[in-house]
Amino acid sequence: MVKKRSDVYSVEIYGTKDLHKTEIEDEEEKHKDQKGNKKKKKAEDLKKELDLDDHRLSTSELEMKYGTSIDKGLSSARAAEILARDGPNALTPPKATPEIVKFLKQMIGGFSILLWIGAGFSWISFGIQLAQGVDSAFDNLYLGVVLALVVILTGIFAYYQEAKSTNIMASFSKMIPQQALVLRDAEKKELPADQLVVGDIVEIKGGDRIPADIRLIFTQGCKVDNSSLTGESEPQSRSCDFSHENPLETRNIAFYSTTCVEGTATGIVINTGDRTIIGRIASLASGVGNEKTPIAIEIEHFVYLVAGVAISIGVLFFIISVSMRYKILDSIIFLIGIIVANVPEGLLATVTVSLSLTAKRMAKKNCLVKNLEAVETLGSTSIICSDKTGTLTQNRMTVAHLWFDNQIYSADTSEDQTTQPFDQSSPSWTALSKIVTLCNRAEFRPGQENLPIMKRVVVGDASETALLKFSEVILGDVMSIRAQNRKVAEIPFNSTNKFQLSIHETDDPHDKRFLLVMKGAPERILERCSTIMINGKEEPLDSEKAEAFQTAYMELGGMGERVLGFCHLYLPEKEFPESFQFDTDSMNFPTSSLCFVGLLSMIDPPRSTVPDAVSKCRSAGIKVIMVTGDHPITAKAIAKSVGIISATSETVEDIAKRLNIPVERVNRREATAAVVNGMELKDMSSEQLDAILREHAEIVFARTSPQQKLIIVEGCQRQGAVVAVTGDGVNDSPALKKADIGIAMGIAGSDAAKNAADMVLLDDNFASIVTGVEEGRLIFDNLKKTIAYTLTKNIAELCPFLIYIIASIPMPIGTITILFIDLGTDIIPSVALAYEKAESDIMNRRPRNKRRDRLVNQQLAVYSYLQIGIMQSVGAFVTYFTVYAEQGFLPSTLLGVRVNWESNAINDFEDSYGQQWTHYQRMYLQWTGYTAFFVSITIQQVADLIIRKTRRNSIFRQGLFRNKVIWVGIFSQIGIALILTYGLGHVTALNFTPLRFQYWFVAVPFAILIWVYDEIRKLLIRRHPGSWWDKNMYY
Amino acid sequence: MLLTVSEFEPKYQDRVAPPGLTQVPQVQKTEIAFTASDPRSYEPYVRNLANFLRDYSDEQQTENIVFQDCGDTPTEYKERGPYNDAQGQKKVCKFKREWLENCSGLNDPTYGYKDGKPCILVKLNRIIGFKPQAPVNESLPPEIMAKYNPNLIPVHCVAKREEDADKIGTVEYYGMGGYPGFGLQYYPYYGKLLQPRYLQPLVAVQFTNLTYDMEVRVECRAYGQNIIYSDKDRFQGRFDIKFDIKSS
Repeated sequence: MVKKRSDVYSVEIYGTKDLHKTEIEDEEEKHKDQKGNKKKKKAEDLKKELDLDDHRLSTSELEMKYGTSIDKGLSSARAAEILARDGPNALTPPKATPEIVKFLKQMIGGFSILLWIGAGFSWISFGIQLAQGVDSAFDNLYLGVVLALVVILTGIFAYYQEAKSTNIMASFSKMIPQQALVLRDAEKKELPADQLVVGDIVEIKGGDRIPADIRLIFTQGCKVDNSSLTGESEPQSRSCDFSHENPLETRNIAFYSTTCVEGTATGIVINTGDRTIIGRIASLASGVGNEKTPIAIEIEHFVYLVAGVAISIGVLFFIISVSMRYKILDSIIFLIGIIVANVPEGLLATVTVSLSLTAKRMAKKNCLVKNLEAVETLGSTSIICSDKTGTLTQNRMTVAHLWFDNQIYSADTSEDQTTQPFDQSSPSWTALSKIVTLCNRAEFRPGQENLPIMKRVVVGDASETALLKFSEVILGDVMSIRAQNRKVAEIPFNSTNKFQLSIHETDDPHDKRFLLVMKGAPERILERCSTIMINGKEEPLDSEKAEAFQTAYMELGGMGERVLGFCHLYLPEKEFPESFQFDTDSMNFPTSSLCFVGLLSMIDPPRSTVPDAVSKCRSAGIKVIMVTGDHPITAKAIAKSVGIISATSETVEDIAKRLNIPVERVNRREATAAVVNGMELKDMSSEQLDAILREHAEIVFARTSPQQKLIIVEGCQRQGAVVAVTGDGVNDSPALKKADIGIAMGIAGSDAAKNAADMVLLDDNFASIVTGVEEGRLIFDNLKKTIAYTLTKNIAELCPFLIYIIASIPMPIGTITILFIDLGTDIIPSVALAYEKAESDIMNRRPRNKRRDRLVNQQLAVYSYLQIGIMQSVGAFVTYFTVYAEQGFLPSTLLGVRVNWESNAINDFEDSYGQQWTHYQRMYLQWTGYTAFFVSITIQQVADLIIRKTRRNSIFRQGLFRNKVIWVGIFSQIGIALILTYGLGHVTALNFTPLRFQYWFVAVPFAILIWVYDEIRKLLIRRHPGSWWDKNMYY
Repeated sequence: MLLTVSEFEPKYQDRVAPPGLTQVPQVQKTEIAFTASDPRSYEPYVRNLANFLRDYSDEQQTENIVFQDCGDTPTEYKERGPYNDAQGQKKVCKFKREWLENCSGLNDPTYGYKDGKPCILVKLNRIIGFKPQAPVNESLPPEIMAKYNPNLIPVHCVAKREEDADKIGTVEYYGMGGYPGFGLQYYPYYGKLLQPRYLQPLVAVQFTNLTYDMEVRVECRAYGQNIIYSDKDRFQGRFDIKFDIKSS
């Protein structure tokens, strides 16, 4: 593991130096393994992977190395050979757990083991009783079968739920097969990209995804977007030159899964499939351990707790019953009963349903949850490490500010702008707008006239797109303006000139002059100007005006914006008549003494919903950390505008600047904010990183590589935080995996990122995470309620057994009946609690502490088991004794009767009145008792359901009728009870009998008592916060 | 709710009626297995019978405040007023032990067991206020018709399985005034509180010629219009008992 990780860093952070180191390690490994040929080969493979030196080789050396020809490509036969050797050019999907293993896990997980034990005991006692010739032996067989069925059915259900949520994801990973243009047998062919092999000559053009790792041998204006690999959002130009030792930095290699933004290129495939850089990072992601989700830990804790109670009570009463001289066999049967009564059979299924309901709700809010348990994880998140581009921002350059007439104007940067509000009356603006419109090569793709301008697809780079949309919004149809001002010459932007220039005819038919328009880096543009336009008039550019320009330029640049300067010149008609031939190579026209018109600055603006979402996070006690590959100034500007760095906080550098002291002398503790550069991070020890994470509330990591994200995530986790990480790039995947909850971007995200993530953000919007957090917190609260509700009746199910054993009364409730409560009447109500609205603003409290705030805590257990549970038991026993008394058995008669009562041979059993009962008559009465007990529990569970709606507030504040599903639950509960009692009351095997109507109401006073008691509890909690009562009665 | 329960009669009797029919002796199972020549093998049955019949001895039925002579032949029901203690305790009808003849234990303290001719006593379960109705004649087995009385709930035992019919031999019935059944004057029962010394009417059944060394199953039924049999409750209005008498 340690070694593996060093690979990632070596690739990204330490560059070639470490590559060599790893190489040496591998060399050693090779020597060690020399005996085993297979192993040796593997080691060599590994070495080859890391030893990427193709960028240093010349074209002919490459041809030799890969046995290919640049003109002809590989032969089909040779390609097939290599394909057979290397396998298809595709990433191996992460190894999925076999379905059967998943299924079996459901069968033995949670309480299933306990129930299997119960079933096993049932069958054992069936066997023994059968051998002894006991009539009722088959009851145990059936019980065992029922228990097994319960386990299998709940297992199938849980498996189905999980499979369903996995399927949603599966649909995601389906990709349209990619095509690649390959030279084979001296012919150009379109081939599916997975057929590519090492040595193939491929051609790529703007818009293509790079189909493999490619050493470029011919390029023309080629730029690639490496953001999925390195996080750099700027397209990188690519050429055939060997420009850097590090294969990742050199210009002549293009990497698999990155995209070619513009230009064309031809190259030799040097790595395919899992051997590509991306492939290695992706496979690394599967090496990063998948942490258990907080809710899984909570549920495990809960299962242990309940199982512990079940087993200890079971064993205790086994010992008691044996020492009370019950037969061992009987004691075993009691043990089964105790286990069944203690285990909330339906609960885990309920939890699954609740989670998937929330998952559905979240999907509607654009959070697609891959792993059901991640639903809650988001709720306990305490740190969100968020990407900037696309997540916090709109992921498109937009004009944010303008400077003309010595004044800065702000432009609207919102997502759905239709007009621009700034003052457009100045003639300088008219001139500026003309330059912006004309000096621009970007165009709308045709056929989008009905779309809003901001949504239209543009061919062109980011800043030109921004300018095009900007002018389209203000001026209307840009394309017709361009048509009226016909372009006669053009010099596109290049990095040496740092400007772009074009010459146009004017749209004024009387004006025969040509208009030269130019835009570029502001300082370069200014150099070429001698005048400046102020309110439409050209004025000489004196030092005062140059000073004003500098100030504006600094100001805009300081906001992290990309600034462009614009100037123009009307060429004198005499020198440049209509017929003049412009030559862009010799530049037979002036490119200096131009007239400076203005500045435009652009930024990728924050999404309008983000500042609100960030402040919500803040009040919810969640630290938002920005992790971006962008420039620190830009990152900081965006962080400030969305509130990740609040208006009043300062970084160390800010304080130093304000106090005019060196950075070293600033008290670091005074700075609440920090902007950490990736370069600094590289040299930091983990202690230093911890210190930064601890000391600063507001942190921005800029210029970080996606691999550094992993370090940051680990740092956060060392603080004990539950960390959510957003990512889209392939090599974000280790960080996504490592995070407690990895959030991949649905639109911008790569498949590898989506695979590694627990959640996919369909709209790439940070604000959606916040709604997810809210849902996650709500479900945690609601699961607490569900569990409290479910646990309560377990006592009412358990007490009958205990009293039966100790007092030898006729059995008050049967095992099968218990299962009907746990898996029948109680299911829908407990799911209904998942629909409960939050009691208070859950986004105003801190995230739960995963060590302290347990799902099931002592208070919950004590309150449910020992308070409400006992009340319920009393209520149910009252009904039980009432039924028996009214049929002739007064409570006093019932004590100690068990042996005779259950004896088959006694058919003249005397009741309190001297009447004599046959065995069957007694059994039938016993079943009536079961039914009465069952009905009482059901009735009291209605009250229990209502009180569980809130934990602190009064029910009346929460609203009795707001959650309609609760009422569905109540009606279903009573409905099922009615059906069981009156509909199936004649099926003896189920042990239900029709019940006199009045017995339904015996427990009602107890139900009311439960409600009143709980209201008083809540009242006291609200009245005396922090008191003993609050501490012990609030769960 | 417990306070609303009367101490004299239960609120509901739907679970206990119609009554069950049971037998004495009752040891562990509804099975009588013994060897006629070995007194120890039938001793539990004999003791069980003796215990049960103690209350039926003449000396136990002497107090005239408690007991009432209800005649020697079956007669009408004896209503004794409302089910409360306004009039104090209710009287009960005497049941003469000698009516049971060979099975009374008065002459043969082994109740026929020593001769391999075991007696059993048949009784109808007590139910407060229950008035069994004599059967309408046509449905009855011909043997019962012979001793028909309109105030009699007759009892009759046959082989459980038809193929055993010849194995149970002669069956003797001893009851009130020689009738093989329960006289209606013993009903209704007024409960433990009002009739603490109530004597259920009995019918003794003696199997004088049972086949030895094999299991013989016998079913006894009481007949009455409101005495019903049920497939689920094998002791409602009837019972079956297994005899297994070893010859040595």
